[in-house]
Amino acid sequence: MTEPLNILLQILVFPGFVFTVALGLVASWVVRKVSALVQWRVGPPLFQPFYDILKLLGKETLVPQQAQRTVFMAAPLVGLAGVLLLSTMLWRIAFQPAELFVGDIIVAIYLMVLPSLALILGSSASASPHAAVGTSREMKLVMSYELPLVMAFIVVIIKTGGQISLAAIAEQAPVLSVSGMLAFLVSLLCVQAKLGFVPFDMAEAETELGSGLYMEYSGPLLAIWKLMQAIMLVALPLFLVTVFMGGFGSAGMPLAWGIGKYVLVLVLVILIKNTHPRVRIDQAMKFFWVYCGIALAAAVVLAMIGNSCGWTWL
Amino acid sequence: MDNIFSNVLSVCVFLPLIVGFVLLFLPNRINLLSRALALIISAITFILACRIFKAGAPDFAWRLLDIGGAKLDLLLTAQPLSKFILLFAMGFGLLITLYSLKSAAGTKQPNVYYGAVLLTIGGTAGILLSNHLLFLLIFWEIVTLSLYLLISTGGRNCNFAATKSFAMIGASDAAFLLGIMMVWVLSNHTFVISEISVATTSALPIIAFLLLMTAAITKAGAMPLHTWLPTSGEYAPASVMALLPAALDKLLGIYLLVIIVRKIFVLQSGALSTILAIIGAATIIIAVMVAMVQHNLKKLLSYHAISQVGYMVLGIATLTPVGIAGAVFHMLNNAIYKCCLFLCGGAVGHAAGTAELDRLGGLGKKMSITFVTCLIAALSISGIPPFNGFVSKWMVYQGIIRMGTEQTGGAAALWPIWLLAAMFGSALTLASFVKLIHSVFLSRTPSELKHVREVSPAMTIPMVVLALLCITFGVFYHLPLKTFIYPALEIEPGTAIFGVWQSRLATVLIIVGIVLAWTILHISKKVRTVPTWTCGEVQKNDEMIIPGTHFYKTVSSMAGLRQLYTAQEKGWFDLYNQSGKVGRALTDFLRWLHSGVLPTYLTWVTLGLLVILFMVCKIW
Repeated sequence: MTEPLNILLQILVFPGFVFTVALGLVASWVVRKVSALVQWRVGPPLFQPFYDILKLLGKETLVPQQAQRTVFMAAPLVGLAGVLLLSTMLWRIAFQPAELFVGDIIVAIYLMVLPSLALILGSSASASPHAAVGTSREMKLVMSYELPLVMAFIVVIIKTGGQISLAAIAEQAPVLSVSGMLAFLVSLLCVQAKLGFVPFDMAEAETELGSGLYMEYSGPLLAIWKLMQAIMLVALPLFLVTVFMGGFGSAGMPLAWGIGKYVLVLVLVILIKNTHPRVRIDQAMKFFWVYCGIALAAAVVLAMIGNSCGWTWL
Repeated sequence: MDNIFSNVLSVCVFLPLIVGFVLLFLPNRINLLSRALALIISAITFILACRIFKAGAPDFAWRLLDIGGAKLDLLLTAQPLSKFILLFAMGFGLLITLYSLKSAAGTKQPNVYYGAVLLTIGGTAGILLSNHLLFLLIFWEIVTLSLYLLISTGGRNCNFAATKSFAMIGASDAAFLLGIMMVWVLSNHTFVISEISVATTSALPIIAFLLLMTAAITKAGAMPLHTWLPTSGEYAPASVMALLPAALDKLLGIYLLVIIVRKIFVLQSGALSTILAIIGAATIIIAVMVAMVQHNLKKLLSYHAISQVGYMVLGIATLTPVGIAGAVFHMLNNAIYKCCLFLCGGAVGHAAGTAELDRLGGLGKKMSITFVTCLIAALSISGIPPFNGFVSKWMVYQGIIRMGTEQTGGAAALWPIWLLAAMFGSALTLASFVKLIHSVFLSRTPSELKHVREVSPAMTIPMVVLALLCITFGVFYHLPLKTFIYPALEIEPGTAIFGVWQSRLATVLIIVGIVLAWTILHISKKVRTVPTWTCGEVQKNDEMIIPGTHFYKTVSSMAGLRQLYTAQEKGWFDLYNQSGKVGRALTDFLRWLHSGVLPTYLTWVTLGLLVILFMVCKIW
C-alpha cells in the first residue's frame, strides 16, 4: 500500500476517526455509567452515546439570527479535525514509534489548544450573551491551566534530558519520580479542565448559563462537538500515558499494560469528576496559578537538583 | 557624485531619500503628485530590493572626506542578512503606501505623510546596507525623525505621542552614538562593521555592548524603554503603526541586535546573555498582561508589538543556531502578522469610526475580508499551528531547551524560566486576541454600526497579501528558512532544528478532518435561522451585548495583580513619565532659585564665595 493512502486510512479508520470515536464513546459511556452508580442511579446502556449522536445527526441545524454564520458552522469542524490529528499522532507513537509523524511534544501541546479555541470562536460567533459569558470563562480557564501544563512539560523535558520527540519521551516514565509524580498529578487536573469536567465545567455550567458555550448549538453541529469530546476523552489520557507513564504498550510491553494505564487515568478523571462540586472561575484561576504553580515550581527545582546530582528518583 | 545613480545599492537608498525630502516641502495643494510619486518610488525600491536579493550587487564606496589622515567613506554592501531584510522592508513599504492611498491617514498633510514614508523607506535601506557605523547611525536618525513626522500627521494628541516617541528613541540614539565611539576606540579606530570584532572580556566593551543593545531594543520596543509604542499606538494613524513600530522598527532593531551579537561583539560573558534573556522574558509576560486589559484596539495591538519582541530577544539570547534562526524568523513573521493586524485595525477604525472595543462588535458579517485576514493574523501571533507564528516560536523554544541542555552559565541554568515565560506568554496572547476577535468581529452589532461596509480594495489587498504570507510561511516553513534565514545567518540547513513539525502533512490531515466532519454534518440538509435562545425569558435580548473588554476582569482584580495594574495605569513603570517627573522637579528647584530678588542672589553669592574660600584656603 502506498504511504499517502496508508496515512489516509490511519486518520479515517484505524487508529484515527472510526476507532477513536468508538473508543471515546465507550469511554464516555463509562464516565456516565460510573457517575450514575456513584449517584445511586442505574445509568445508560452501553450504546446510549451512539444513539445520542445518531439522533442529533438526523435533526435540523439551527443558526441564530445574529450569528457570524461561517465561523459558527466551521468551528466544530476545525475542532474535530484538530483533535483527530492529535489522537492519530499519539496512537502512531504507540504503534510505530520509529517513524516520525507530524510533530513533537510542543506541537502536541499546541494542538491540544485547538479544540478549546474552536469552541471559543464558535460560541462567540453565536452572538448569544450566555455563550459570551461561557466564552470568557473558557478562555480564562485555558490560560489558567496553561501555566501549570507548561511547567509540567518543563519537568518532563528535564527528566528526559532535553528530548522533545514524543517517541523518545514515551520510552521513559517520569511518573516514577517525585517531581514527575507531582507534574503528572497537576497535568491530570489540567486534562480534567481541558475535558470540561466537573469541577472545571464553569464554561458550560448547565445550571447558570444553560450550557454556556454550547448554548446555540443543536442537531448535527452539536453532534460534531460530541464527537470531538469523545475523541478528546481518548486523546488527552493517551497524552498523559505517553508523556508520563512510559508510553502505551510500546516495544516489548504487552498491549494490556497500555490499556491498563489508559483505564487508570480515566478512572482518576472520573473519580475527581464525581467527588468535587463546580468551582468558580476565579477560584480555578487561583488554584492553577498559585497552588499548582507553586507545586510545580518545586517540582522543577527538584527535577533540576535530581538531574545535577544524578538522583533519578527525585 | 556621478556614481550615486549608477550603483543599484545607492539608488535604493538615495532615490527615496531625495524624493521624500523634496515632498516634505511641497505645498499641500498638489497632493496627487505626492501619492503617485510615493507609490512609484516604493514600487521601484521594492523591485530593486528583489534584484539585489536575487543577483546581489557590487559594493558601493564613496569618499566623502579625505583631510590628512581623516577619511570618511560611505560604504554600502549587500550582506546576506541585510539583503533579505531589505527585500521584506521594501515590500512592507510598498504595501503600506498602497494601503495609505485610501485610508484616512495623511489626508491632513499628505505631502509630509508621503514624504516621511519615503524617507523611512530610504533610511531603512540605508541602515540595512550601510557597512559603516557612523552612516548607519545617520540613517537610523533619519528613520527616527520620519517616525516623528509620521506620528504627528495623526489626529488629536498626536503631537504628544510624537514627542514622546522622539524623546525616547532619541535618547537611545544618544546611547548608540556613545556606544559607537567606544567600539571605535576598542577596534583600533575603525567604523567599518565587517572589520570589527570586539571581545567582551573587560568593562569597556561590556558597556559599549549594553549601549548599543539599548538602542536596538528601544527601536524594537522591548522593555523597559517601550512606552513610546502604546502612546503612539493610541494616537498615530494605523498605517503608520503598521509601517514603523510593527514592521520596520522590528526589522531594524533586531537586525542591529543580531549584528552586535554576532558580528561586532564576541559574546563571552554569560551575564550579557542573561541580561538579554531577562529583558526578553519580562517583555513577553508583562506586555501581554497589560495588553490583555486594554480597551482600545490600537493600544492593545501596540502592547502585543512589544510583547512579541521578547521572543526575538530571547531567541538571540540563547546563542544557539536554532534560537537565533528562530528569533530572526520570528522577526520576519511578526512583521508580517503585526503589520496585517494594524492594517486590519486601521480598516476597522476607518469603517466604524472608532477603535474603542466597547463600541464595536459583530463586524465579521459586514467586513468579511478584514475579518478573515485579521483572524489569520491573530491565530499566527498566538502561535496556533499551522500558521507562521507557531513555527518561529517553536524554534525559539527549541533554542531555549538546547541552551539548557548544552550550555553552562547563568542564562542556561535558568532556562525553565525563559521557556515558561515564552510558552505561557503565548497562551496569554491567544487570550487577548480572543477578546479582540470577540469584541470587534463576533458578538453582536451595536445599532450605530448597522451600515458599516467593507473598505476599498486598496486597503484589503495589502491585508490579504500579508495573511497569505502568514499561511505560506507557516505551512511551507522550510522555504523561507532555506531561502532567507539560513543563508543570512550562515547556518547549515538541517542542522539547527531538532524537533519534529511536518507542517504540510499536518495541514493536509487537518483538511481531511474538516472534510470528514463536513460530510457528517451534511447527513441532514435542513438549516433554519432562529432568534437567539433566551432560556424562555422575555427580555430585550437584542440589545444585550457582552463586550470582550470585561473578559479578563477576573485577572485584573486578582489580589497582587490588581495593585500592579493600578500602578501601571498611573504610569509608575513608565521611564518617560518618571524621568519627566525628575526633570520637572529639577526645573522647579532652579525656578525657585531664580526668584529675581536681589538680596537672595547676594546671599547665594556670598555663601558661594565662602565655600570657595574654605576650599581654597583649607581652613578646616
